[in-house]
Amino acid sequence: MAVPSPKSPEQSERSRKYDRQLRLWGDQGQQDLETAHVCLINATALGTEILKSLVLPGIGAFTIIDNEVITEEDVGSNFFVTADKIGEKRGSIASQLLCELNSDTRGHFIDECLLKLLDLNPGLFKTFTVVVTTSLHEKEIIDLSHKLWTYNIPLLVCQSYGFFGSMRLQLAEHTMIKTHPDNQNPDLRLDCPFQKLKAHFDTYNLEALDLTNHLHVPYLVILYKHLEKWRNDIGNVNALPETYKQKQVIRDNIKNSIRKHENGTLYHEENFEEAIRSVNFAYNRTSLSENIQLILKDEKLMNLTLNSQPFWIMVKALKDFVDNEGCGKLPVRGTLPDMTADTFKYISLQQLYHEQAAKDAEAVYNRVQQLLQHVNLPDDTITEQDIKIFCKHASELCVIRGTRIADEYERKGNADNEISQSLEDPDSLIEHYIILRGIERFYSEYYTYPGEIDEQVEPDIPKLKLCISNLLSEWGCMYSTKEDYIHEYCRYGKSELHSVSSFIGGCVSHEIIKIITRQYKPVNNSFVFNAINCSTESFTL
Amino acid sequence: MAATIAGVFKPEVQNLIINSKILLVGSGGIGCEVLKNLVMLGFCNIEVIDLDTIEVSNLNRQFLFNKESVGKPKSHVAKTSVLKFNPNVNITSHFGDITDNKYGVAFFNKFKLVINALDNKKARSHVNRMCLSCEIPLIESGTMGYQGQVEFILKGVSMCFECNARSEPKSYPMCTIRNTPREPIHCIIWAKYLFSQLFGNSDEDVSMEQKEEVEGGYEKLSARNWAIKNEYNPKKLFKKIFFDDIIYLLGMSHLYEGRIIKPVLLDESLLEQEYCEYNHVPDNKILTLEQSISMFSDSVTAIKEKLGESNAECLTWDKDDDNFMSFVVSCSNIRSAIFNIPFKSYFDIKSMAGNIIPAIATANAMVAGQIVIHALRILQKKYDRCQNVFLRSMPNHKGGLLVKDKDVLKPNPKCNVCISDGEILLVTDTHKFTIRQLEELVLKKKLNMVAPDVQIDDRVIISSDADDEVNMYDLTLLEAGLKDRSTFEVDDGLQSFIIKIKVHHQEKYEEEEPDFEIFNNMNEFNAANEINKYMELNENDDDCVIEEKTVDSSGSGVCVNNEDIKEAVMVSKKEVTEEISNEEGTEEISNKEGTEEISNEEGTEEISNKEGIEEISNKEGAKDITNGEGAEEILAIKRKAAEEIEDINDVKKSRVD
Repeated sequence: MAVPSPKSPEQSERSRKYDRQLRLWGDQGQQDLETAHVCLINATALGTEILKSLVLPGIGAFTIIDNEVITEEDVGSNFFVTADKIGEKRGSIASQLLCELNSDTRGHFIDECLLKLLDLNPGLFKTFTVVVTTSLHEKEIIDLSHKLWTYNIPLLVCQSYGFFGSMRLQLAEHTMIKTHPDNQNPDLRLDCPFQKLKAHFDTYNLEALDLTNHLHVPYLVILYKHLEKWRNDIGNVNALPETYKQKQVIRDNIKNSIRKHENGTLYHEENFEEAIRSVNFAYNRTSLSENIQLILKDEKLMNLTLNSQPFWIMVKALKDFVDNEGCGKLPVRGTLPDMTADTFKYISLQQLYHEQAAKDAEAVYNRVQQLLQHVNLPDDTITEQDIKIFCKHASELCVIRGTRIADEYERKGNADNEISQSLEDPDSLIEHYIILRGIERFYSEYYTYPGEIDEQVEPDIPKLKLCISNLLSEWGCMYSTKEDYIHEYCRYGKSELHSVSSFIGGCVSHEIIKIITRQYKPVNNSFVFNAINCSTESFTL
Repeated sequence: MAATIAGVFKPEVQNLIINSKILLVGSGGIGCEVLKNLVMLGFCNIEVIDLDTIEVSNLNRQFLFNKESVGKPKSHVAKTSVLKFNPNVNITSHFGDITDNKYGVAFFNKFKLVINALDNKKARSHVNRMCLSCEIPLIESGTMGYQGQVEFILKGVSMCFECNARSEPKSYPMCTIRNTPREPIHCIIWAKYLFSQLFGNSDEDVSMEQKEEVEGGYEKLSARNWAIKNEYNPKKLFKKIFFDDIIYLLGMSHLYEGRIIKPVLLDESLLEQEYCEYNHVPDNKILTLEQSISMFSDSVTAIKEKLGESNAECLTWDKDDDNFMSFVVSCSNIRSAIFNIPFKSYFDIKSMAGNIIPAIATANAMVAGQIVIHALRILQKKYDRCQNVFLRSMPNHKGGLLVKDKDVLKPNPKCNVCISDGEILLVTDTHKFTIRQLEELVLKKKLNMVAPDVQIDDRVIISSDADDEVNMYDLTLLEAGLKDRSTFEVDDGLQSFIIKIKVHHQEKYEEEEPDFEIFNNMNEFNAANEINKYMELNENDDDCVIEEKTVDSSGSGVCVNNEDIKEAVMVSKKEVTEEISNEEGTEEISNKEGTEEISNEEGTEEISNKEGIEEISNKEGAKDITNGEGAEEILAIKRKAAEEIEDINDVKKSRVD
């Protein structure tokens, strides 16, 4: 007999190389990474650290935009430039060395000034999945932010400055299906069992079961029976136990139905004990969460077109399902928690949920097909498999509409408010956001960073202070930053500390991976790191 | 280098960086990052040690290695790669085991600071003890998926690695594996044993001896020799392992007496089944029984070839070898079919068989960044600012990803390692437990010693010196003079670790009972006994009777074939644990944990009980099949439950090992 290897060699090599991360974000997530193209502006130490943690897990491609040459400072903090290359193009060398980390990733380099590129070839930016920047100046940030906002391409503006660092994430619109919520109630439908489920529950007559079968009834059945009994007792067929007292009544009822030994002591019926413990969460009313209601009402659903994202077409189909077949409810999720039961009883119950989930997903799929036809998109724009995943995670869908970074600079958004509120907490790291903004302002005015030239450290202190207090008064904040901090920042003179960049680089790549894979919710929307006392904080600016 | 950049570091800090010699233990995921960060900060005297060689699955994060370096020693390649970027630093690399006695006190004393970037508890404990005895500060670290932590350890100043109990790898009683598997993991472990029995160097037999016709009669052959004699014919092997061995088991009537678990013979038609294509099935999908059988024969054929090519007598099982994995996947699922246990996918079985912990570059980068920031503080002796730091997978309510303890945690006054030369309680059957078991299982495996010596009244019982001729190893504790209530002292000269052990004799009746148990004191022992009593009380509920039936096998991936059998009750671990922790015996323990948790920061306690349990039950897979009633089962569950409690506490503390 021939010995076919289980998989093709390349595929097997790939899954072996990426095995440890596939266990976190799955094949789909890996595929998303492998088709992503990340643009880095400025290959500083932080910039290369960010790319390093993206190249290793296998992003498809990156492009570095950088028109600087390598200096001694770069060599001191940036692992991906070397001393023998001082004076050469920073982006070029970094790109070469980063490519050595993973042969699956293609690296590109553009030796051009950002503002010029934005002016001459803005379309270039449409080709990127995500754009991440380090050490940008005010004007660059503002122009880039505007451009990427209109293209709906995620932008991360990052900094590593002495012992501090920050990241600001701009997402015009970001949709997610798998958000991996922390704790999610199971989708059991005890309050409104679908037809077959109800019929299945009705086949049970708990009192008539022999002891062995009684010990092996899944707790869902017990809960359902006791819900019916309780509804009967109080004379309301639609009621659900909501208060502690009501729940306690049911718990007592369940306890009383545990079989007894001849001597009157209770049998140890695990399934009944499970039922008692599950009273608290299992009787939830099946309904649409506020978040889902909002998504189903989104204006994006009004006029679907050829250009609509698949996500919105699926949401529209979902809405139509909820309004029709679903009778106001989401498709059945189709998964059951573990429970004490014999295999047969458990599996027959599980299959009912499976079948209903498949049926619901099919209904949604049919609606998707109609919608696709309607807007003249090919049938296979959205596959049946896509819909299955979409329906399974329907209750955790998430749409993020962020704020524009440029608004912070042009004072159009709500950032001022958040800043003054955060300032009320004396331990807040917002102060460092303010100082970092002050330093950007400083650069705009003097074309140098405070303390960058050794002899200038002392004279730069009052200048930086002035920049900061101007900013604060623009925002209408009554606050004066701590003198120590200003001295400290001036002392740094823009130097970048490798281990700080290593940490922030990890954080930023983390967020980029979340965005590319559309799994897990990203930080909303700013993040500051203080390495002096190892603390982090995020703000919504 | 960075250290020389004026402004960031004061001259005295610059000097510290230049003059401090650092030991980095481990050059894997975190190690690579730390080495890079140290060098970039200006450290120029670094020694790095690692006993591993590079594997393909390292390449998604261990950036100092590439495809060409697969198979080479990690420490050497890491050094070469870093020097390529920074030729001016002085790095010494060791390809070796840090617990080796050639890395003794004299070796450790060369360093100002030791950084652990390890992946196992034994080495972590060892370095912890070495650093305590040399009074060198140690930074301990770990990551798991999106999470991670950095801890600071210094004798007398902070908690040591062993101040709190850490979770132990699970172990399963051998007879569960051999005769009464209830969960997929039991079948997976069995399949790994089977691999070493057939192809490797086995110390545990799971397949029976086989009678074989020879000239002039029969001879009994070990399973391995039988397989060799039959040239690893997949069909014959399949019949022997999954039919003949099962028939043999069923023949031992006492095994399944009074039990709900019982193997059911597969349909004989499977012996002659057609080849059933399975290559198109993705890793994360479950194969059918028929497909598993084809996978089994393919993998046996491939492994046999490999054995032939390698010229080696033995193969060592490796999760990264596809054929070895296929063997374990197919064997464990076929066995699951026999014992009515749910099947698992290739992907999941790989996790379980290989104890795989997910690992990514980003978390390692963050933890390594933090390690070096800690290192700077430690060298400046700013110990009060070296709180333990935890990296969370999601921001907490305050938006923090990084959470730290409020203060540096003081050593646990009861710690046997860093504070007192404490006394622990060893509960075992002194009539059966041997000195060899004492050394291997208790002193080395459980207490993580590397060179223990035991002397009683000037008699050497256990010696770390190979030249000493000690012939006590086959004696039982009692025969060696270690009787009930006696106390003896163990001294590990390498680790400068001394501990007193008090013996408590407890007769062992059942094979499933553990060989020994360790408690910190009598109270803990008594508390554990309370749980026993509780479990025994519930045993009386046994009312189920097994009816004997032969059942046809069904071909589906999920085994629902013998629905008529009064069968296994599924108990989710969650339930068992919750149940036990409600009992008084453990309440005390869990309270204790509770207070600890509060003294940590909010962030760490965010990883709530519920989440922890959920995670564990998910990890373990959908269902545990257990009848929950037979006496032996109960013991097993109890043990399992106790392990679970530990696990949960561990998750609570959000420590990652």
